[in-house]
Amino acid sequence: MKTAAVNKNVRSRRSLSRNDRFTLSAFVGIPTLLQIVFLWAPTLITVVLSFTYWNGINVSDIKWAGFANYKNIFFGSPVFYDALKNNVVWLLWFTFLATPLGILLAYQFDRKIKGHQIYETIFYIPVVLSLAIIGIIWNFMLQPGGFVQGVMGRDIGNAISIWGNYDINSYVIMALASWRHIGYIMLLYLAGLKAFDSSLREASAIDGATEWQTFRKIIFPTMRPVNVIILVITIIDSLRAFDLVYIIYGTSTAWPLLNILAFQNFAGQGISMKGAAYSVIALVLCVVPILVYLRNVFKEDLQ
Amino acid sequence: MSDVNNGISRRSVLKGAAIGGAGLVAGGSLLAGCGKKQVTGDVRFTIRGNLSDAGAKIAIAANDAYTAKTGNKVISQAVNSDDFQNNFVQILQGTPDDAFGWMAGWRTNARADAGLLADVSEQVKALGSSLSAAAIQGATNPTDGKQYIIPTTYYPWGLHYRKSTMQELGLDPESISTWDDLIKLCEATQKKGLVGYALGDKGGWEAMGTFDILNMRLNGYQFHIDLLNGKEQWTDAKVVEVFNYMGQLAPYMNKNVLDISWDGMRDLLLQKKCGAMMMGSWFANDFLAKSQEDYDDLWIVPFPEINPEHGIDSIDAPLDGISVAANGNNVEGGADLAGFLGSKEGIDAAVAAGDTNIYISSEFDTSSYDAFNKQKLAVLGAAKNIGFFLDRDTRGDFAGPVVGPAIQSFLKNPKDLTKILDSTQAQWDALPAL
Repeated sequence: MKTAAVNKNVRSRRSLSRNDRFTLSAFVGIPTLLQIVFLWAPTLITVVLSFTYWNGINVSDIKWAGFANYKNIFFGSPVFYDALKNNVVWLLWFTFLATPLGILLAYQFDRKIKGHQIYETIFYIPVVLSLAIIGIIWNFMLQPGGFVQGVMGRDIGNAISIWGNYDINSYVIMALASWRHIGYIMLLYLAGLKAFDSSLREASAIDGATEWQTFRKIIFPTMRPVNVIILVITIIDSLRAFDLVYIIYGTSTAWPLLNILAFQNFAGQGISMKGAAYSVIALVLCVVPILVYLRNVFKEDLQ
Repeated sequence: MSDVNNGISRRSVLKGAAIGGAGLVAGGSLLAGCGKKQVTGDVRFTIRGNLSDAGAKIAIAANDAYTAKTGNKVISQAVNSDDFQNNFVQILQGTPDDAFGWMAGWRTNARADAGLLADVSEQVKALGSSLSAAAIQGATNPTDGKQYIIPTTYYPWGLHYRKSTMQELGLDPESISTWDDLIKLCEATQKKGLVGYALGDKGGWEAMGTFDILNMRLNGYQFHIDLLNGKEQWTDAKVVEVFNYMGQLAPYMNKNVLDISWDGMRDLLLQKKCGAMMMGSWFANDFLAKSQEDYDDLWIVPFPEINPEHGIDSIDAPLDGISVAANGNNVEGGADLAGFLGSKEGIDAAVAAGDTNIYISSEFDTSSYDAFNKQKLAVLGAAKNIGFFLDRDTRGDFAGPVVGPAIQSFLKNPKDLTKILDSTQAQWDALPAL
């Protein structure tokens, strides 16, 4: 009797009712179709277009260019290397400074230090702002004629050069981006820590482990799923950076990023498929390291 | 009355307009056989800029005059000018407004070749002799000899300064005629603690005005145009010389050139913080909007002579006008409105609303010009050759993505000049054939 009941259960799970099948195909099929139409198709078209010359208007004008756009970018456009440098600086800054800081804050707040709710709120607030809004706010504050300059008694003519000063502008932009990123990472990690079994921590304390040892040997490895997400987010956020810088500099490539270059070549008066090539380069840089990393992670999990 | 709509309400209005417009156009074409062709239907017009700008109020006043004359409603929409220019090709391929203010040169001709702009040769012909041959020539697409823009206004790029500042410095504002005069002016203003030569290049195009004029002064108009069209080399010693002259001005510039845009330059002059600046005169509307006193204090002279061989025979004077979208709902109506805006009635309405631009039309009464506008005419008249500005005289995929960053790099690090020019030439060579 018992086995028969189990078999019946298995069968009913396999042979879905008409209604179930309809619901399932609607829930899976429609989003998949939308993804294919609005994401995968344009991506593939962009990849193909990156090997052509085209001004974006009449399809009949598309001419095969081979690798000319890529050759032009790699060997003829110094601005590409400036952009690459900025993207890499962004990635390094996020990976080695902003993300660890967010984790550190989460770890401290999780220990319920005095007034942790106030601190949490303070660090969390920038997360509600999009990077575009952060750009608008801080551009308004720091640009010549802006609030901060005014407070310092600087008019437009003798305003301290920030966006145009290449000794400091990268740091200012990184600081603005981190302002949001730190809170974001803190929030993610805090959520993970809430689910952390506190008896493990107590056990390690009884065994005489220091705080650092507890974090490194117990908490960090146990938080692996969260760590993976955070790493992926950090990489993607660094390489897809666009809005903050676009708000400050517009399409002028005074502080270029790969995505700004892509946009500059797509928009404006001179549409060229160099923009498509820039997009493909950014896509490859974004996707490949993540795929490699995730494959390794899942392989280890299977073992 | 012209309706002004922003964002959300626009869509519903457009639907109604499209249906109403279609009916009216059908009615109009039925009547067309009975006599003089009467264009009807609502016309949609894009204003580049903020609704609060002086320019938007002027455009709306002119559109109202069109409605009063023809009974055709004009639905005006204000859009951010940079966004409109950046997305121009996409907008024109979608559902564009029928007419909009646009710029003659490469930006019109290339889009006309792609079939995005409507032919307005008929309207240009109707304006007849009120347009000078040179203006019509400037608005003509060399590919097919037709016009895709109705030229309305133009403005000189010249050396702007405030007369009061010059008097305080004890300089004769009328005699900045040589390079040494300019340097003297810069030195004197700097000694007063002001910026000598105001420049902004955050937008990447503002300093092109200085590059253009130095190139035309040193090497002449023909060399300049040939350079921008690939017939001369960027690595030429003549181009190096242009940048050397720009470098001579650098010590007198504000220390935050890459931090400010054209509006920052304008504000420097408005707040009496600088000596002179090279700029297009369109910003004078903002001086007038601030106060009559500020406007009366504003002055313009041609950029001084450097090479006697070329004197002051060339100038950047971008030609602006009204273009009509080929994909608009009411192409005929758009062309009709464009024609009106270029005609005497349209100009009168704009000027009555406070427009300080110089109109090309000879029917426009220049005797009513104020002193500044008369001076603008004099500055234009001093030149024999007229350029349209670097980003309209050369390919769009070269001006913004290549020359803009090149000039910024030079301002950032003048020592890299050789490298910058080599790269600029290499990037021109890598451009696909048009």
